Amino acid sequence: MTNGLNRRHFLATSLAAGGLGFLGTRAALAQEGGTLRFALSAFPPNFEAWTSTGTAAGTIKLLMHRGLLSYGPDGMLRGELAESWETDAEGAWVFKLREAKWHDGSPVTAEDVAWTIAEVANPDNAAFRQGQLAMITAVETPDARTVRMVTEEPLAVLPGWFAHYHMPILKKGEPKDTQIGAGPFMLDAIDRGVSLSLKAFDGYYKEGLPKLAGIQAIVYADENLRVAALQAGDVDLAEYVPWQAMDQVETDSALKLDVVDGPFMYLTFNGSRAPFDNPLVRRAAAHAINRADIVAAAFFGRGGALEHLPIAEGSEFYNAEFANAWNYDPEKAKALLAEAGYPDGFDCTMLSTAQYGMHQSTAEVCQAYLSMIGINVTLDLPEWSSRVQKGNEGQYDLAIMGTTADNNDPDGLVSVVDGSLPNNFVRSFGMPTPEITALFARGRAAFDPAERQAIYRELEQVAIDTAPIVGLAWRAQGYGMKSNVNGFANLPGQLTFYSGITLEETFFG
Amino acid sequence: MLRYIAYRSLVALFLVWLVVSLVFLLLHLIPGDPAELLLSQGSLAADPAAVAALRERMGLNDPLWRQYLDHLGGVLTGDLGTSFRDGAPVAEQIALRLPRTLEVIGAATLLAALLGVPLGTYAAVRAGGKADGLLSLLSSIALSTPVFVVGSVAILIFAQKLQWLPAGGFVSFSEDPVQHLKLLILPASAVAISLWAVITRMTRATVIEVLERDYVRTARAKGLSRAPILRRHVVRNAMIPVLTITGLEMGTLIGGTVLVEFVFNWPGLSGYLVSAVDARDYPEVVGIVIVISMLFVFLNLAVDVVNALLDPRISLVKS
Repeated sequence: MTNGLNRRHFLATSLAAGGLGFLGTRAALAQEGGTLRFALSAFPPNFEAWTSTGTAAGTIKLLMHRGLLSYGPDGMLRGELAESWETDAEGAWVFKLREAKWHDGSPVTAEDVAWTIAEVANPDNAAFRQGQLAMITAVETPDARTVRMVTEEPLAVLPGWFAHYHMPILKKGEPKDTQIGAGPFMLDAIDRGVSLSLKAFDGYYKEGLPKLAGIQAIVYADENLRVAALQAGDVDLAEYVPWQAMDQVETDSALKLDVVDGPFMYLTFNGSRAPFDNPLVRRAAAHAINRADIVAAAFFGRGGALEHLPIAEGSEFYNAEFANAWNYDPEKAKALLAEAGYPDGFDCTMLSTAQYGMHQSTAEVCQAYLSMIGINVTLDLPEWSSRVQKGNEGQYDLAIMGTTADNNDPDGLVSVVDGSLPNNFVRSFGMPTPEITALFARGRAAFDPAERQAIYRELEQVAIDTAPIVGLAWRAQGYGMKSNVNGFANLPGQLTFYSGITLEETFFG
Repeated sequence: MLRYIAYRSLVALFLVWLVVSLVFLLLHLIPGDPAELLLSQGSLAADPAAVAALRERMGLNDPLWRQYLDHLGGVLTGDLGTSFRDGAPVAEQIALRLPRTLEVIGAATLLAALLGVPLGTYAAVRAGGKADGLLSLLSSIALSTPVFVVGSVAILIFAQKLQWLPAGGFVSFSEDPVQHLKLLILPASAVAISLWAVITRMTRATVIEVLERDYVRTARAKGLSRAPILRRHVVRNAMIPVLTITGLEMGTLIGGTVLVEFVFNWPGLSGYLVSAVDARDYPEVVGIVIVISMLFVFLNLAVDVVNALLDPRISLVKS
């Protein structure tokens, strides 16, 4: 056998090389000036600025629009359209606006803010913040740069409402899905369901920002493809890196991973019927489950056990004494079950969904552990849309749920824990929590940090004892990016989905 | 003939109406509220007042029969309605996405046929030989490997490791023809693989059958060489069943490329249908189903008519 190149081999090789030549190498195409290619997990269902349209849509809003406030990379509130905010002698909030322009060149005024608040409070606009903004009884605009918001009682948490990505300020008179904003980028082109092009707004109110000339947001619904696109060099930044691929991104020398524990998994209960109307049974469930197995099975070790209310360890409201309050203790679980009158356990149905692997795996681990204390769980795993409806209608005994709180303030947990709110799949069904409701109200009205800490400590104590929900696991939320992408930061804790705000400071280098 | 076509068209329209009505009814029977789903994206609790207002805007508070009649009335006047999610006209979106799906199917069929017919013929001529055995093994593997496995492996090799091709996505041909074709290669190839196996096997079987026909023996006896016999007499005659089966496979693919579209992020009609069902976007689901069922029903009709025109032995009208 010879290794020499004969005529036939040479021709075949040349043809193959010629045929593949046009493909080029992807690496050569990766750098294209100042346009960042961002792999989104979903296309915004619409562009209505105040509607809760998901986290991917939230990122696009953070590019196009600005609220009065936002959160910085350190997780602290900071001014955006408002440069300062404080309460006056009567307890009303006064926001001073900075000089900022809309994308059409006109100035942002107090009138725009007042009009936005009125529109958001109108139920026809299906706004996310409608419920909260209804507490604002009057909006005054003493001059073009001052907005005064009057509430029935002082509200310490009000500024945080105006930092949410579903609460941007719009120009007076614009439709709610307007493309005119005051954000660092302007919408340039939309290919529905496929991609969005945005270009830098040169009239943005922050000097020297945005640093990028544009952003091409491309939708990759399949999480594996999102990672593949990042590794192949098709995109520079990808959201929602799946847990199973985090190691792969971390060890790739061309990439880096920015990950935080923010979203969390928890159990909700049907409090309108036995057996989970009994807090002893709910606490038994809380002590029956070994969280480490959930983190391993559902999140490939990327997360952590959550044995208390979802208040992160770094928060000023974190209560170390409750860190393991719902610890794994099968003996205690059995004792609680016996005390509740179920020494031999019972049969019940657990609602989750087969559409998302993490929900199903979490349910399976819980099912296994609950069976060890005699609770025989039948899993109900419909697709997500059905799961939402069954959750809203209370067609379950206990359910697996995952979400993030509104923000890192304990008041952000209202939507998950407060049983006085209407029935919803994100919280337990038919379970009034009068003490907790009252404590949330007190917390909202308290301005002194020490007083607020004491209120929320008391609230967590009540929650631990009554278990209106039961924490299961923190889950890691990661952004993957090429090594040369700088300035982008994954915001801490519950703020992870606000991270799009840092795209104004993102640059290649 | 015209009477027959008119009769069959009426039957076809009846079938489309039946499919659409069934889909409309089933969609409303299964749990899931479009307004609630839209407003609870990101697993956030939607405000009940906002949900109620949105339901009213979507017309979901009307009785079911009125929603059905309104929708059917729209369809009859050629209006497929607008998306619940963003108000985009459904007909416009279908017109945008259907060609993309047809493009993948067309490219895949071309690729599969160009490889499958010669290889199937070769296997038939060498029936029982090593090459035949190898092709049989390869086609078995190709047929039994799910398209998402083929797709994922192809992405791993050609996009992640070799970095020759983009991992997935879509750019319109008018915007960037080269990038468009690059993006088409992997999804078309992934669909082509199982189609190739079907065409190869079908070609092999029919060529073997034709090779044993009298007229082939006669041609051989006349002293014709092998190549012209294969080309003129064997392959040409063997193609009729191959074409039929290819046509059937293509029809199935119109609504069945969902996995390929998902894996390669190709924004075609199948993926559009799945996302519409997920969001319970009733106008979109019904609109897409109307188009797919019409394509099926009228393709069948066209095939029947063409068959009758080509082959006088097939009679359209009962005597």
